Amino acid sequence: MAGAPAPHGFSNAAAVLHGIDDLRFEDFPMPLKPGEGMVRIQMKAVGICASDVHYVRKGRIADFIVDGPMVVGHESAGTVIEVGPGVKRLKVGDRVAIEPGVPCWSNKASREGRYNLCPDIEFFATPPHHGSLREYIDHPADFCYVLPPNVSFEQGAMVEPLSVGVHACRRGEVKPGKNVAILGAGPIGLFTLMAAKAFGADSVAITDLKNDNLALAEQMGADICLNPKASATPAEVGEWLKASLPPYGPDVVIDCAGFESTLQTGIRACVAGGKVVMVGLGSEEARFPLSIAACKELDILGSFRYCNTYPLCLKLMESAKVDVNPMVTHRFGFTAKEVDAAFDTAARAPITGAIKVMFNLEGPDDDDDEAA
Amino acid sequence: MYGPNDLRFDPHPVQLPPEPEPNKVRIRMRTVGICGSDVHFWKHGRIGKFVVKDNMVLGHESAGDVVAVGSNVTSLGVGDRVALEPGVPCFANMLPRQGRYNLCPDMQFFATPPIHGSLTTFVDHPSDFCFKLPDNVTYEGGAMAEPLSNGINACQRGQVAPGKKVAILGAGPVGLITAVAAKGFGASRIAITDVREDNLPLAKQLGVDHALLTDRSMSAMDIALMLQKALPPNGPEVVIDCAGFDSTLQTAVEAVATGGKVVLVGMGQDKCTLNTGTTLVKELDLHGCFRYTNTYPLCLDWLERQQVDIEPFITHRFGFDEKSILEGFDCAANPDRTKCIKAMFHLPGQ
Repeated sequence: MAGAPAPHGFSNAAAVLHGIDDLRFEDFPMPLKPGEGMVRIQMKAVGICASDVHYVRKGRIADFIVDGPMVVGHESAGTVIEVGPGVKRLKVGDRVAIEPGVPCWSNKASREGRYNLCPDIEFFATPPHHGSLREYIDHPADFCYVLPPNVSFEQGAMVEPLSVGVHACRRGEVKPGKNVAILGAGPIGLFTLMAAKAFGADSVAITDLKNDNLALAEQMGADICLNPKASATPAEVGEWLKASLPPYGPDVVIDCAGFESTLQTGIRACVAGGKVVMVGLGSEEARFPLSIAACKELDILGSFRYCNTYPLCLKLMESAKVDVNPMVTHRFGFTAKEVDAAFDTAARAPITGAIKVMFNLEGPDDDDDEAA
Repeated sequence: MYGPNDLRFDPHPVQLPPEPEPNKVRIRMRTVGICGSDVHFWKHGRIGKFVVKDNMVLGHESAGDVVAVGSNVTSLGVGDRVALEPGVPCFANMLPRQGRYNLCPDMQFFATPPIHGSLTTFVDHPSDFCFKLPDNVTYEGGAMAEPLSNGINACQRGQVAPGKKVAILGAGPVGLITAVAAKGFGASRIAITDVREDNLPLAKQLGVDHALLTDRSMSAMDIALMLQKALPPNGPEVVIDCAGFDSTLQTAVEAVATGGKVVLVGMGQDKCTLNTGTTLVKELDLHGCFRYTNTYPLCLDWLERQQVDIEPFITHRFGFDEKSILEGFDCAANPDRTKCIKAMFHLPGQ
């Protein structure tokens, strides 16, 4: 299993996807030393995301196709065990959250502060880039963020999905004075709910077709939980949402499900002049109520991953403005058997009740301190 | 109009009080332009949820002479030439108080039922919504402030500015006036597309850099690639869809640069197919666009300083009598035959 890092031939167990449903627990070789500006991290906590499961099951998401072995996983935190040349910000022993997407700075999007849109971004576990479900990784120090002492590795790993929620709230300009409706109480909807409350939204309503998901949402601070019958039309659900968020309805609707029905619901529910943020990617295309969107002068905003969110997320966790701990429903160690079990648990979430499945990786000097 | 396809020349459709109300002025209308919405109400008796139930005076693009002022009015005097902003909001509502008065739920807008329009001899209108024409601006210019305002709002929604490349889909009157506004807002480059050739020479005359004729056999992707090629390196940062069909919406989201803006002006279809995947992954902003706010002073300033040229827009002029009304509306309703861009009615002065 895992050995202490040594200059030559130490083992680095990794979960490597070779093809559809072909996830292997095998060694992933590392270079001798971390390169310029890089740090070597011993992984402590890695969460599974629905996209990881999707790559395992389908071998692709849209135009990203798994074409050769790829380490999966991108929600991660660990300990710095070695620093490369030129690294000043971090030192050995630092506990860090790892931002999985590393952009380049020569393009317009990056230079305009939207580095999530860098056309050449290297993002963990998006083909052809390797992910972080492994014992060791080298990563640019600039994309590793020190965990506050009261923030655990698991919380650090969850900075990634929380970032998606934070970015959506920024896109929607969630703030005091705004009522927010979140469509979908799956993991992303729940992280977005936490972010919306932290951003000071007046009231947050959340919808889902499963009462179990709504129960957790209520626990996490949703002011209104709504289970629209599967037969309800977008117009009907829109009216319910408007009525549930007086006086005018939601100023911001964040669609974390991403289906035609939720997009239509969002556009109908949203106040005139408001914002509908598209986070979920349930379907590639949707029938879009153009005249409603135009006459209400809505802003319909795509939201893709995130940028400049890690420091804020860590502050929110440190000050307990968000509590992501209840999101972890299943924990696994890092062995071949447990990798299979974990992915199976995540893939069958409707039956297993999985929300966030977390790997805890044991290192040789593991004295992980959990958060209060 | 009295019903779908029932347009009549009615000498006294609306009874006005002896004097205008305290905050209003009475205007003798001099020039009124026709818009696609006037034609649509005439032909169909409705647009969306706005249904013409009783007779309704049409027209909302207008300018005229102040002939009487209400007792509280100090900003205008008899004899002043004014352009009329057609939509009067209620400032008790939340959205008008936030500056977005175009979205007022109680908006009273000329020729949107049940509010009578301005294609009539006299109209009473709040003085706050009448704007004095500079000396060198004609009544036609004043009337054109209304469609120009729509173009301005589209550019504001899309944040058109120096450094931005703009693509406009559709070179009808709305697309053309939007191109004029985009130039006014300092767009670096402007491209416009249409399946008809008729208006493309005018587009070039108005300063559009690329007036692109598309073919019905071209796919939305083909047109998107054409636009990206015309506006290197990344394609347009702003695409303004003045048509509003499945194909144009698809072209818009495919042509626009990553992180860019699509402005939804045209409503050719009530519902369109949207490529949500593309919208999300490119992190696009789609901005619904509805009428305008606080644009009249800018329009009149541009016209005074001759920074915009609206003259080429006015292709047909008519007088104000039974025959002329019917000819004018027929002309505006059939641009393929008449090549009409903007038809204007001229009403006599004193």
